[in-house]
Amino acid sequence: MKVVETAGLSKDYSLNGITVSALRGVSLAFESGEFAAVAGPSGSGKSTFLHLVGCLDAPSAGSVSIAGTDVASLSRRELALLRRGSIGFVFQAYNLIPVLSAAENVSLPLTLLGVPAAEARERAGRALEEVGLAELGKRRPKEMSGGQQQRVAIARALVKKPALILADEPTANLDSKTGREILELMLALNRSEGTTFIFSTHDAMVMEYARRLVLLRDGLVETERTR
Amino acid sequence: MSAAGARDIAAMALRNLSRHKAKTAITAVAVAVSVSLYIFMDGWLLGMNLDSRRNIVSYEIGAAKVQAAAYFEKKDELPMHESFAGWKPLAESLERAGYAVAPRFVFSGTLYSRSGSAPLVIDAVDVGLEGRVLRYPSSLEAGRFPAPGRLELAIGSMAAEKLRVGIPSRPTPEELEELAGAARDAEEEAFVRGLYGPAPEDEAAAALEARKLALKPGASEAELARLWEILSASGRMDVRISTVIDQKAEDGSGRILHVNQLIDASVVGVINSPNPKTNGNVAFMPLDSLQDEAGLMLGGKVTELLVRRSGASDAELPGRDESAAAVREALGPALPPGLEVHGWLDYVDDYIAASRGDQVSTRIMILMLFVLSFIGIANTMLMAILERTKETGMLRALGMTDGQVVAAYMIEAACIGAMGSLAGIAIGCLINVPMVAHGLDYSAMAEQIGGDYGYRITALFRSAWNPPVIVLSGIVATALSAAAALLPSLRALRMPVTESLRFE
Ligand SMILES: Nc1ncnc2c1ncn2[C@@H]1O[C@H](COP(=O)(O)OP(=O)(O)O)[C@@H](O)[C@H]1O
Ligand SMILES: [Mg+2]
Repeated sequence: MKVVETAGLSKDYSLNGITVSALRGVSLAFESGEFAAVAGPSGSGKSTFLHLVGCLDAPSAGSVSIAGTDVASLSRRELALLRRGSIGFVFQAYNLIPVLSAAENVSLPLTLLGVPAAEARERAGRALEEVGLAELGKRRPKEMSGGQQQRVAIARALVKKPALILADEPTANLDSKTGREILELMLALNRSEGTTFIFSTHDAMVMEYARRLVLLRDGLVETERTR
Repeated sequence: MSAAGARDIAAMALRNLSRHKAKTAITAVAVAVSVSLYIFMDGWLLGMNLDSRRNIVSYEIGAAKVQAAAYFEKKDELPMHESFAGWKPLAESLERAGYAVAPRFVFSGTLYSRSGSAPLVIDAVDVGLEGRVLRYPSSLEAGRFPAPGRLELAIGSMAAEKLRVGIPSRPTPEELEELAGAARDAEEEAFVRGLYGPAPEDEAAAALEARKLALKPGASEAELARLWEILSASGRMDVRISTVIDQKAEDGSGRILHVNQLIDASVVGVINSPNPKTNGNVAFMPLDSLQDEAGLMLGGKVTELLVRRSGASDAELPGRDESAAAVREALGPALPPGLEVHGWLDYVDDYIAASRGDQVSTRIMILMLFVLSFIGIANTMLMAILERTKETGMLRALGMTDGQVVAAYMIEAACIGAMGSLAGIAIGCLINVPMVAHGLDYSAMAEQIGGDYGYRITALFRSAWNPPVIVLSGIVATALSAAAALLPSLRALRMPVTESLRFE
């Protein structure tokens, strides 16, 4: 089943009257269970692509379908509910909520889904365990290292068992050893849960992990290969 | 989203409050100041108005007046020629219906004492009946109330001071010499001097400045009566009233005849009641002493009848059964054509104007305070929301709807408002406790403005509790605070999620 399908996906930004075409017609499809990297130099449109697929912004042209639904037909509220139910995000900057503990950050998506508090706590605990942070649930983000924070972010993305996890340069802020650990973790989850991962990177080491590699340049797909 | 989810969002909003404790506290303090000031001002105004209203009814007017329509129309000019005779049958039918009635003839004149003169409004009253409707006859600072049939006056304490009649309570040394000069022998002089001493400690500074003496607070009734007698014998209490009698010509032409009249009388009492209207330039005289040529040639005429329910409590304002309509109904056909009944509020335009003016001006002032604290909260929330743009983007990426984002920020702002409101209510009530129990003495100020500023209270501002307003001010402040978060949060939602996430 196709989890994500884009057709002629384009995005123009206008900044001070100058139009920048971040994406210029990208047509890609991702099957359920894929572990795919979107690679390319800085400014090639990786983040823009992930954001559009994650319904965080609207394309200038082209379309995005999530599990067969063209998201252009959805209202703001329906888009929020789609993100809430089906998509997990991991960002380069972790983006944890600073006033919440690690466990609370992880259970927040479940809370939004209306999962009862006790069950949400229990599932958040298990998700933290899966990323190897069972002991640190009570810590606040600023009391943890970058790698630990990114693990919490991954736990937050996977706790609701979404069909799709989008990770925008998840290792870029981490040293290479920690980066590897994070990628190993993602890969393990992909294998055990069958979660579809699409992550971006400009790091050759990270690309090694991907079973499918899409190379972007200047907003266009340059090459694509599968292992 | 479930109730648990809503609770978690609220919990998160609460925790966000602790991020900038100082700013949150300052903002809450601004709200607290507004709320407590509002509660204080409202209690004060309510107290002044309640006391004023009670004092108008109990000391000035009663519940209603029966008057000639032509008199009521020009009542500010005291048109004595629009008086009416034959009031007794009216009073009797009202008495039968359970009302107390007091007749009155009001005229104006100039009062000359040995040391000066002053324009005065003189109420000629039925000494026996007056006390059944109004309470001032027993609010004597000195002396007694005039006796029926005698040309005697009780005058307001401020007029007495100005005209130098009665017993001065705070004379200058020169005035004391004058008082001592009234003594008929050495023993009396010693007695007079002995009643006065230096002004009491707490007023020492003021007294020093004015070099004033004070009547000894321990002076007994008998001593005061003797002092009055000594001063009276010296002629200090003798006064002359100069007035003009206006009467309609007997020929029915409507012409008004003016007759100049001089009446010699003596002051026998000084009134100092809780209603400043009775203490100013007014005097009270027995109605029956003015009937013939030596008085005002009244021939049984009065300008008004004051009406109150018999045995009504002073603490209560007139009820429905004391309204003009009820009195009119009780009179029925006994009310002759040309006479009208008006409720007490029709006679106190000055009070109503002052009260309205204050209601408006203080409320505008407090409203501005609320606006200021609203701006404070709006600013705090604007900064908080701006600072958390990236976080807001993350929450939206996690699937928070626009409504939930707005709700979270509004809850946060409402919490600031609620903390401020609770503190404000506590402070406001703490201030109100002594203000209700003891009030605020402002006699020094009252002396300067002559006590005449619309409100019918003397020397003491006393607040009243107003629970609905206390609760409501807190609710309004909290709701306003919540509303202050609306615009900034909507503004944050105008950004695409990606923009929010890129924000640094
Ligand atoms: N919000 C934006 N406004 C203006 N230009 C943008 C915006 N986001 C991205 N761009 C531009 O679009 C291009 C692609 O950006 P991006 O998708 O972030 O690339 P990458 O993630 O591969 O580095 C870049 O030239 C970038 O400057
Ligand atoms: Mg990028």
